[in-house]
Amino acid sequence: MLEAIVSLGGIGLSAAILLGLASKKFAVEVDPRELEILDALPGANCGACGFPGCAGFARALAEGKVDPAACTPGGQATIERLASILGVSAKLREPEVAVVICQGDRVKAKDKYRYLGVEDCNAAQKLADGPKACPGGCLGLGSCVRACPFGAIEITKQGLAVISREKCTGCTKCIAVCPRQVIRMVPASATVHVLCNSHDKGAVVRKYCQVGCIACQICKKAAPEAYVIEDFLARVVYAHHGQAAPAIEKCPTHCIRDFIAGYPEGSTFAPSIVPTSDEAA
Amino acid sequence: MSRKPKTFHGGLHPPDSKAASADKAVEICPLPDEIIIPLSQHIGAPAEPCVAVGDSVCRGQVVGEARGFVSVPVHASTSGEVVAVEARPHPSGRDLPAVVIRPDGRDQWCDDLRGLGEDELAAESVRNKLCACGIVGLGGATFPTHVKLSPPPEKPIDTLIINGAECEPYLTTDYRLMLEDPEQILDGVRLFAGVLGRPRIFIGIEENKPAAIKVIDAACASSDIEVVPLRVKYPQGAEKQLIYAITGREVPSGGLPMDAGVLVQNVRTAAAVSVAVRTGQPLIEQVLTVTGPGVAEPKNLRVRIGTPLRHLIDACGGFNGEPGKIILGGPMMGTAQLSLDVPVTRGAGGLLIFRQEDVDPRPEGPCIRCGRCVSVCPARILPTTIVAYARNDQVETAETLGVLDCIECGCCTYICPSMIPLVQFIRQAKGAIMAQKRNA
Amino acid sequence: MTGLLIILVSSIFVNNFVLARFLGICPFLGVSKKVETALGMGMAVTFVLTVASAMTWLVQRFVLAPLGVEYLQTIAFILVIAALVQLVEMVVQKTSPVLYQSLGIFLPLITTNCAVLGLAVLNIQKDYSFLEAVVFAVGAAIGFTLALVLFAGLRERLDLCPVPEAFRGTAIAMVTAGLLSLAFMGFAGLVAG
Repeated sequence: MLEAIVSLGGIGLSAAILLGLASKKFAVEVDPRELEILDALPGANCGACGFPGCAGFARALAEGKVDPAACTPGGQATIERLASILGVSAKLREPEVAVVICQGDRVKAKDKYRYLGVEDCNAAQKLADGPKACPGGCLGLGSCVRACPFGAIEITKQGLAVISREKCTGCTKCIAVCPRQVIRMVPASATVHVLCNSHDKGAVVRKYCQVGCIACQICKKAAPEAYVIEDFLARVVYAHHGQAAPAIEKCPTHCIRDFIAGYPEGSTFAPSIVPTSDEAA
Repeated sequence: MSRKPKTFHGGLHPPDSKAASADKAVEICPLPDEIIIPLSQHIGAPAEPCVAVGDSVCRGQVVGEARGFVSVPVHASTSGEVVAVEARPHPSGRDLPAVVIRPDGRDQWCDDLRGLGEDELAAESVRNKLCACGIVGLGGATFPTHVKLSPPPEKPIDTLIINGAECEPYLTTDYRLMLEDPEQILDGVRLFAGVLGRPRIFIGIEENKPAAIKVIDAACASSDIEVVPLRVKYPQGAEKQLIYAITGREVPSGGLPMDAGVLVQNVRTAAAVSVAVRTGQPLIEQVLTVTGPGVAEPKNLRVRIGTPLRHLIDACGGFNGEPGKIILGGPMMGTAQLSLDVPVTRGAGGLLIFRQEDVDPRPEGPCIRCGRCVSVCPARILPTTIVAYARNDQVETAETLGVLDCIECGCCTYICPSMIPLVQFIRQAKGAIMAQKRNA
Repeated sequence: MTGLLIILVSSIFVNNFVLARFLGICPFLGVSKKVETALGMGMAVTFVLTVASAMTWLVQRFVLAPLGVEYLQTIAFILVIAALVQLVEMVVQKTSPVLYQSLGIFLPLITTNCAVLGLAVLNIQKDYSFLEAVVFAVGAAIGFTLALVLFAGLRERLDLCPVPEAFRGTAIAMVTAGLLSLAFMGFAGLVAG
């Protein structure tokens, strides 16, 4: 019995002394808040903050170099939590989501040539500016789908990218990868959008797309506050998006769509249900 | 003719399909109703238009001025009236600025065109003449020739290679030129030699053109120019491969032929140089092989630059069957065209018309690891491995595997039994790497 | 001398700790996504294995055996190994933060790595001398590193392959590990031992 205690105790004691010395010699200082911050972050390593991953962002936060609001995917709850860990006041950004402003899938919009190459929008865009006749239309080859860390984008059977408002965290990765700038950031509370990205004149648009904006001004007449037409393309003035709805029915080419009524045709995403809480404000 | 044909590592031999047009003498294509002169017809900065709508121009007049050193002017290819300066379809598939001329039918040369006399052939004046005449490399790259003839002093050029390989299937323009006008080519070669200061001169011709080898050999009999028969293999005419085959020198990775002390010029460029220097006439016409199963009567045509493709096809008796794919340039490296309103530009060596049934639209299949792309790659890189990395966005790894050495000859894509668009992936990766380098 | 060589070769190839004895599977699957981290892990395990083998041999010979408390073998060995792993962890954290990050949880888990304990116990069972025990440890460590790096290389290439959806990730890694193990079985009979 005594032997057991002595032997184990002896080994333990010598190990303890050794480790004690080593911990002095190899001490590394870590800001304890860094781990706490890392815990609070979404952990998707999406890069929306501009850092390679959540760990890098956490370190920069702990050193006070960046603003907690830079983590857009985390949303309000995360930003508040980060602010309380850091002891600063939370500056809130209005949450934004990405929207593909195009409805011109393979059925509705024409192609100018038959593309047989690599399934990648950027590769296709290099060949005579992409197979789609419309210079701004979605190519539907899925570069954004592969870029999205949250699985918020799908390509419909007819070849159109659709982004789920619910799943999108606003990290803007899809925007960076899209060669045609057909994805835009919009306030998360807005559900009515002009889904067209062609600045061509109406007569030209009609030739290649059934659902393109022809800049006919009808939406602007129906809801003067909520729309602006620039360079032959209408867009919603998001400051007044609450008033945009009356124009939806009037649009002759049906390129204005309310996501509450459903996503563009062919999407498997369920229609948006709730306008977010600050809709009323 | 008992010399052993020279060659390089890799490459392949697609059916050359040259028989349809090889024996047809070059015909002069009639003038079209409208000439479209794109302002971007060479590598480098596009030219700046210097005529306005309503101006009348003569044949050979400058309509677009060079911008910067790596740039050349563009010229009116016939006399007539400028009817528009606007964006028109371009071989690249985009609409790019062009000067549109309605020919007046008189085809009047400008009267201020003058060649250089025997006593004016100093290197500098020849270079200036070539620039003024808009001479670019007609082998396909359309790199301004005067720039190529201005090597930095620390990289002396001791060897000049004249490229008469014409390794692309279907094309017979270089072949016809060598048969019909060897003296003009040799005159151009002598002018090059004069600018470079007595280099060794080789003319490389693929073995499947014995007639051309014979003609050029006879023409060179009294000079020290050496005619080198080359093995029939694509891409025998690619710069680095040609240099290796003839001199045994290797152009270093990422380097230019001048790093190996070599300059390569196409036979058609040599002929154009001769015309420009002797007569002062700018580069306003181009010999094109119009061929392929989809055209009624394949021909070699001497065409004014700016002639719409539609006009060429009409001159060859129209389509044969339903056209499926129309390619400007050779079948391996040419570009498919979206519209027949696209004009002929400098450097286009052929117009190929394939029928619907000739186009094989099979979708891409899985890689079966047959390794054929590796064995045919003349740049000695591993296309399949590089593409696997490129597909997974690991361009850094692709770079370490030498993706930047790819010459985009298309051998791997041609040979791939699974229809994998290897070259397109590689181009994608190269583009991404170059973009990263620019940002860094 | 030949005896030592046989122990070395046998522990690297024939009785490879991971692929033939199936010890230390946890880091083998956990830290083999990239060759670099696999190599780092291999180095860490090599250090722990070698030192642990020597230490446990000494503990057994000079502490446990004289006092007649061999029944405490397991607990004593774990104590020694745990202390060593703590030491390695501190050193790695100080010297190579990147490696520390990528090894993550698997570094402290070397403590419970059965390869280390297995080696210590095998030393005693086979009644090896001190030198033999150290050589055995080095061989086992090289074998472990070899398996880890080989497997990491395979997994890097596996990332490039169009693997069917159901097999993605760990599933295909398991299949590959099985095939790799099968390949190592081919060394059986290379040396006696």
